[in-house]
Amino acid sequence: MSPVVGLARRAIVRWEALLVVMILAAGVWSWTLSSFFLRRANLLDLATPYIFIGLVAFGLTFVVVAGEIDISVMSIMAVAAVSIAEIWSAGVDVWLAALAGLGVAVVLGLANGLLVGLLDVPSLAVTLGTLAAYRGLAYVILGGSSISGLPTGFTDVGGGYISNELPDALLVLLAFALVLGVLLHATRFGRYLYAIGSTREVARFSGIPVARVRVTIFAISGLMAGFAAIVYLGFFGSVQADAASGSELIDVVTAVVLGGVDIFGGSGSILGVLLALILIAVLRNGMQLANLGGATQDMVIGGLLVAAILAGNVLRGAQSRGLPWTRARYARKEVTQAETPGVHSSGT
Amino acid sequence: MKAPGRPAVSAQTLVSAVFRLRELGIGIALLLTVVLFSVRATNFATVSNWQDIASDVAVVIVVAVGETMVVLTRNIDLSVGSIAGLSAYLSAETLSTHHGVPIVVMALIAVGVGLAAGLVNGLLVAVGRIPAIIATLATLSIYRGLVFQATGGDYVFPNELPQSFQNLAAEKPLGLPFLAWVALGVALVGGAVLRWAPWARDFYAIGSSPEAARLVAVPVVRRVITAFAISGALAGLGGFMFAVRFANVDTNTARGFEFDVITAVVIGGVNVFGGSGTILGVTLGALLVATIDNGFTLLKFSEFWKIFFEGTAIVVAVTLDALLKGRVQDALRRRRRPASIPREQEAPA
Amino acid sequence: MSRKRLRLLLAAVAVVALAAGLTAGLGNAGSTKVQAGYKIFLLPKQIGQPVFNTNNQGAQEAAKALGDKVTYNGPTEAVGSKQVPFIDTAVRQGFNAIIISADDPNAVAPALKRAMAKGVKVISYDSDAAPNARNLFVSGPDQKAVGFAEVEWLGSQIGYKGDFAILSATATATNQNAWIGYMKQALKLPKYKNMKLVKIAYGNDNDTKSLQEAQGLLQAYPDLRGIIAPTTVGIAAAARVVSQAKKCSAVRVTGLGLPSQMKSYVKSGCVLKFGLWNEKDFGYVAVQTAHALLAGKLTGKPGQSFVAGRLGKRTVGKGGVIIGVPPFAWTKKTIDSAGF
Repeated sequence: MSPVVGLARRAIVRWEALLVVMILAAGVWSWTLSSFFLRRANLLDLATPYIFIGLVAFGLTFVVVAGEIDISVMSIMAVAAVSIAEIWSAGVDVWLAALAGLGVAVVLGLANGLLVGLLDVPSLAVTLGTLAAYRGLAYVILGGSSISGLPTGFTDVGGGYISNELPDALLVLLAFALVLGVLLHATRFGRYLYAIGSTREVARFSGIPVARVRVTIFAISGLMAGFAAIVYLGFFGSVQADAASGSELIDVVTAVVLGGVDIFGGSGSILGVLLALILIAVLRNGMQLANLGGATQDMVIGGLLVAAILAGNVLRGAQSRGLPWTRARYARKEVTQAETPGVHSSGT
Repeated sequence: MKAPGRPAVSAQTLVSAVFRLRELGIGIALLLTVVLFSVRATNFATVSNWQDIASDVAVVIVVAVGETMVVLTRNIDLSVGSIAGLSAYLSAETLSTHHGVPIVVMALIAVGVGLAAGLVNGLLVAVGRIPAIIATLATLSIYRGLVFQATGGDYVFPNELPQSFQNLAAEKPLGLPFLAWVALGVALVGGAVLRWAPWARDFYAIGSSPEAARLVAVPVVRRVITAFAISGALAGLGGFMFAVRFANVDTNTARGFEFDVITAVVIGGVNVFGGSGTILGVTLGALLVATIDNGFTLLKFSEFWKIFFEGTAIVVAVTLDALLKGRVQDALRRRRRPASIPREQEAPA
Repeated sequence: MSRKRLRLLLAAVAVVALAAGLTAGLGNAGSTKVQAGYKIFLLPKQIGQPVFNTNNQGAQEAAKALGDKVTYNGPTEAVGSKQVPFIDTAVRQGFNAIIISADDPNAVAPALKRAMAKGVKVISYDSDAAPNARNLFVSGPDQKAVGFAEVEWLGSQIGYKGDFAILSATATATNQNAWIGYMKQALKLPKYKNMKLVKIAYGNDNDTKSLQEAQGLLQAYPDLRGIIAPTTVGIAAAARVVSQAKKCSAVRVTGLGLPSQMKSYVKSGCVLKFGLWNEKDFGYVAVQTAHALLAGKLTGKPGQSFVAGRLGKRTVGKGGVIIGVPPFAWTKKTIDSAGF
């Protein structure tokens, strides 16, 4: 607790601090809604259904920080999951199949990246197309059937529990948060992303290999969709070609933007996305325990998204009257580095 | 009406040259598709098939006209599907309980509901300063949630609606389906407004450079709200058209429809960063997508490959478009002094 | 400490106020009060769907008669993975039984197994979950009977001769795929040797897509004599398309549809005959089954039987399957009596 409180005291305007407060508030609300909320088994397990969403959101964060968007992520995840299952059912070792699935995911991400990075096609347009094309690929591979019965050792990654209580998938999520947090916030590559996301021209003039970096982020996004596929297969124990073809994409984007990642690029943190995911999980869990209607749940999450950004705007407005920095889109050049949170906060 | 002194206008001739070329590109792609399918697919080049395509594409075009105005201002409206669903239900429910209500009134109710929803979007974006993609992502969920609350799990079925309303979709004055006439009207008005109305010309200025627009005293906040309001109202009209088409409204009506609309807008050559694009382009874009979809069905493609090829066709189209646009811009830049605002890049820091 | 708590309290108040504003008068507050009878969770593929609402009406009727409490809730879209959190939270709330229409039989299996491990009884109905992940399956009419009946309905309307197509839900839909399998089996019978299945199209249970696919079928197969749509969305779309194209007698539409949704097409003579079991009774039987299982009147062994309230005796068949409702065909004569 105390480091979090300390962080909040030092920089109350920090988005991540606001998210922590909101999580606590959501927890209190959930507790008033249902007495089942505060049970330990519930608290440990409440994020498990959203882990694959989180992993995809982490990958998407790299893309959005650099000022691009990738809406084909759920289709990539489906192709990866379908490929892994199909290769495994052909008799190949499941871990080798998983490796192949990751490879497929990276290739699909690369295809997006090459079109965006080298040919300069707008990423929204490209991934709008591949959203459909990759989904078609999943159908071509698996058709209308379903594959299940993958080995327990493999499905434990997404669906197993340590001493019947602590979900393995939660540890997977935290591990990725740590690794990707370091990559985004403590490497030169990460700094490139913020620079490109802030102003691409300036980044190019300052010698950053813009094209290569833009291709790479889509490969990362694809790779994370591949890891998400492994967790998905574990948690649901099976896959169909229509995996995650519903509002999961909206869930991913919600986690990213609620996490404070600027949709126009240039700012955001992995910690923020992680906290946003937890916030969504806490709220959904509380409302489900209280049997609030599914539609009401969607509305509360939507309302929270608007309210949170509005609150952030008001807070920042109040702050910026005293402080010079704002998060306005064009006034962000050198700020990025100062704004970039350190790794210290990525562990939670 | 030209609006002298504004930056977007100074580059007008250059820009309109590019526009004309770009619509030509989509037009050629459409023509090639039509020729190919006419040769290869049974029954493609028949009047009744084209009437089907026209009905299919009508709702997309109507909603896409509003979406175009929003995208021109460097924003996006993801909530159009939910708005259409809400309008469809509220208007159809009214008609089902009051059979005497004239159908025009029903359409007006739908437009009114959409307008209100669009205004909320506009206020959130322009006054609340929430990025449009976030605000409308939220209202996508909220408006769809309202559909659930409004319907309470109830639904409107054909037998609850008057026969005259049920027959509306099948009517074909002068051979063109009723819904296609609506779309044609909306597209013509929308195109004219964007070309000649000064307030709508401001959309281009805002999208090209919000800062510059503000400096030359364009009322940015009001214009952005207007764009969202129009988008909402047309999504509402789209909801009415959904009700006409299916005579059957439930919580799922128009779910995911925003994808069809945005696809038409993007294929139609509207710059996703705002500032350029035309209704003609968007109409051709919508037609192209509907034609490809229809043609693949008539070619008796496997369902699974069909999804794959449709997506690939979109990728190919946008890639060619981007390459072509790059070449045209290079050519024009070489001939003229680069006086215009660089349209593709972020505004300078 | 007090400052922190104050801040926390303020934030909490803000969020609660927001949520209260949104949910005012909409949701049922989480009640923890203990009631006589069993707590049963009814989980549809999707809330807000006519068919499942009708199931729920029957379920509530049974609950009232038995003194149980049935809570009806679920995701806002028909995606298997979205049912999982509802299963887990139902278990933690101490529900005695879960009744589920599984959207994806395998995807919900791990969560249902977790539930069973905690002593919760799991009954699938309408659409089965993986057999080892539920205690009993309350089935619609025998799938083979449904598949064969649909072919017969169409055959009898087109003189057992000509091309026809199927307009299904999604390519992965379990029930639909099973019925289609049996339809293909039926077509091997000599009686149907002149009927040819030319295409299986998927409307994804989406109005627009179903309509476009139906239009496409008419255009791509000019000699088409019939469309079988074994899904309520599909049959409504197909009926709409043929009635607007004024091809009602050239292309016969049949399949499975909700009587209230199909009424106007049947009355106008465009659709002659289609099927659907009584969905209200379906929900009713499902709750009766759950109650019997919880009360120990059933263990799930084949051959056991129990009395399902007003609907009479039901018997557990092979694999823990209970046929909940008999098949039913609707025509102009009977459709007014449907009431759902």
